[in-house]
Amino acid sequence: MSSYSKEVIADLVAGTLPWPQTRRVMSAYKDDDRFFKYVAVLQDRVEWKDPILLPVSDHLFICQSGDERVTKCECGHSFGDYRKNWKLKAHIIVRDTEESLREIYPNSDLPDPEWMEIREFICPECGTLHEVEAAAPGYPIVHDFEPDLEGFYRDWLKKPLGGE
Amino acid sequence: MLDKPASTLRIRERLLESERLMEETGCYDGITELELRNQDPLKFETLHTKLRAYCVSAREMARRISASPGVREVGEMVVAIYTPEGDAIALSNGIMVHVHTMSRFIKWMIRNGYEDNPCIRDGDIFANNDAFIGTVQVPDVMDVVPIFHSGKLVGWAGAVCHELEAGGITPGGDVALAQERFTEGLFVCAEKVGENDELRRDYVIRCERNLRMPIYWVLDEKAKVASCIDMRESVKALIDEVGLDYWMKISKEFIEEGRRAQLARSRQLTVPGIYRGHTFYGHVTAGKPGYQPLGDPDWLYNMPIEMEITTDGKIIMDFEGTQPWGFHSMNCTPAGMDGGMFVTLTQHMNFEGLVNDGAWMATELKLPKGTWTNPDSEMAATATSWALLLPAYGVFQRLLSRSFIARGFVEEAFVGQVNSPMIEMGGTSQYGTLFGMAHFECAAAGSGALAIKDGLDTAYVGWNPESDMGNIEIWEQNMPMLYIGRSIVPNSGGAGKYRGGCSFLSTWLVSKTDHLRLVTSEHSSRVFDNGGMCGGYPAPTCQKHRAVRNSNIFELAGKGAPLAHHTGTNPHRSELELRLEGEHVTVEGPYITAPHKTGDVFTHSYNGGGGYGDVLERDPVKTAWDVENGFLTKEAAEGVFGIVLDEDADGFPVANLDATKRHRAGMRAERLAKARPVSDWIASQRSRVEAAAFAPEVKKMYASAIKLSPRFTKDFSDFWQVDAKAAFGVE
Ligand SMILES: [Zn+2]
Repeated sequence: MSSYSKEVIADLVAGTLPWPQTRRVMSAYKDDDRFFKYVAVLQDRVEWKDPILLPVSDHLFICQSGDERVTKCECGHSFGDYRKNWKLKAHIIVRDTEESLREIYPNSDLPDPEWMEIREFICPECGTLHEVEAAAPGYPIVHDFEPDLEGFYRDWLKKPLGGE
Repeated sequence: MLDKPASTLRIRERLLESERLMEETGCYDGITELELRNQDPLKFETLHTKLRAYCVSAREMARRISASPGVREVGEMVVAIYTPEGDAIALSNGIMVHVHTMSRFIKWMIRNGYEDNPCIRDGDIFANNDAFIGTVQVPDVMDVVPIFHSGKLVGWAGAVCHELEAGGITPGGDVALAQERFTEGLFVCAEKVGENDELRRDYVIRCERNLRMPIYWVLDEKAKVASCIDMRESVKALIDEVGLDYWMKISKEFIEEGRRAQLARSRQLTVPGIYRGHTFYGHVTAGKPGYQPLGDPDWLYNMPIEMEITTDGKIIMDFEGTQPWGFHSMNCTPAGMDGGMFVTLTQHMNFEGLVNDGAWMATELKLPKGTWTNPDSEMAATATSWALLLPAYGVFQRLLSRSFIARGFVEEAFVGQVNSPMIEMGGTSQYGTLFGMAHFECAAAGSGALAIKDGLDTAYVGWNPESDMGNIEIWEQNMPMLYIGRSIVPNSGGAGKYRGGCSFLSTWLVSKTDHLRLVTSEHSSRVFDNGGMCGGYPAPTCQKHRAVRNSNIFELAGKGAPLAHHTGTNPHRSELELRLEGEHVTVEGPYITAPHKTGDVFTHSYNGGGGYGDVLERDPVKTAWDVENGFLTKEAAEGVFGIVLDEDADGFPVANLDATKRHRAGMRAERLAKARPVSDWIASQRSRVEAAAFAPEVKKMYASAIKLSPRFTKDFSDFWQVDAKAAFGVE
């Protein structure tokens, strides 16, 4: 089975691994030790110490923060209990006018703001755009992911959950 | 291990027994142990590879028989080998969505007593394009032949081609105007169409007299039958070699192995839990000629999906909360939904090992009765079911991708597929003959971005992983239109750290005809029908059609004056308007109008995919390349991505890294200043929701979802803290 160095995984995650090598990673059998190497790469990237338990987006991680498990932005901002929808604790920009939609789509035909709006979920601390929803006005905000964190560590990783 | 030599049961009883065994043991056909694989793994793998080779070579051979540019040029065909009960053992490349729909077709015949009447005999050919029996849409015509060995039914060989003309109310196969089954075209409902390896003459005559362009369908039939016979003979020779009992046993083990491999792969690549996403599709037909007043002319559909990955690796997809089926051509049968699942899994998880129906058995689809995913009337039309199926499975791809990202397999994360709008046509050809055709250059859309790089430009569609737009010269031979442009559409991928793949736009001059009907479908109106991921934006997929009637193009060409070759980047004034005189038309939604004639100009654009990641993280150097090559406009680079471009001595764009850094810092600050807490926004929206102060189509969408789904009602009520039923006047 395949296995890669932490450096290779770091480059892969950063999108800087040269394409021929990336291609080989894509075509090869998967490396079963990926998860913890990946988490180690991400842990090196962040400036805080809370152990990452599960990445859930490009810059969002579930981590062990004292006794709590929270969803955290890469900048360190906490969105609270990981079982709750982090979006509800985020900041938002809603594009529901032709003018505001035009800023993102300068050269295309636009949706009808009466039928669809673009919602941008932003970290209130660092301004990272974490997620975009395109939804009809009035559509409830989606809770994208509720991981079975306990089941994942217990049954699949066969490792204790919760840091050290 | 249950030991079953070639069964003496009749096939219907055998099918029921197989289902019962699966129910009891949880394993396909009760195979709790892979005995033959354990005995000799090398032989096991070799035999499956042989079966796969039979399929691939049969398909390639058949493509040379077909006359249709759909099959010859862009490979709209797939073939597969099945067990006697109709489960796929091995398949070719191509439109893999149909491997499982064909399985449904075979099982349908078995369940409906075909063994007694019309009888299943060696040399018989059965055909079907009825989606409620087992296919996606009327142009997907499938042929299967039984495989007999030593007097016993030992399997089936099957082949599907997507026909370019199906004889419906509008020309082509994705019959856009069909609002009921009765306008979709020529139906072949699990019919015995041939005996002794030959198509029946009366069946061919029926095709010839009911299609606008019978040569495509009829020669495709011959191609399919040839490929089925080829596979059948190969399988028989293989059985001569390995023995009948061995074949009966190993063919089943292949499937059980496929099922186990799928579960193992979920455990290897994903994270268990619940994933959610949604997309929308808008349809606008008010005032268009030909639409019957059967339902609302304009409507909006929501497509919410909840996916659960259980700790044993099973993937469950639930469509609860989506819209009812309607009097339009975009409904989908459970067979089509299954097919969508199958083709998506083959691309995302089953990229190695034994690909077959086993993978599908490790999944479950929950399709609420009465919705477009599972109509409770078999008169519902499904001719353009891809219009909803593709966006829905695009959501599935994003949900799966979230799990790959969580697990660390970022190279597999893929924002996914988009709808690929189709143009179809009919009338009088450039040769003066009757013709009809679906134009299949749509098989080359832009893909969604990946989590580590930009999406594929004009090189991906969900339904046929071997994406191909075909050669212009071949298409021009088959229709009375000449290309005056085929170009990349700038900014057509969703913006993001990695942008979605771009789409292209074709511009045609209608030529040598006085009667050309042009019809388009699978184009969402007023809403984007795709999404981005992790901060990426959706692709702009609600483009309008632009055309010019009675243009002065011949006059301009005579003078050597510049012509329009695309619509340009000004959404308010197209290149057509700038360069051509004539009657300019802009049409929203499906293009259904009076026939065109020589001298008219028509444009049609395809879709790009959604973006991945925050736009402010996009690489400025790559962006300069994108602008130079027409994938992004300079305007978008600066306004959307915050990338300042200068020009080098030759006038080519180069990224100004310092200015970009400053500009982006300003954009980030502006973002933070503009954004407000989500809780404030929710509070500000609540009264609007309570008053249901929405456009009529939006209001109707909520009312329909609330009526059909208790879960949607509860989620909606809980989220807004309103009584959803009261707000939307639902009893
Ligand atoms: Zn942050």
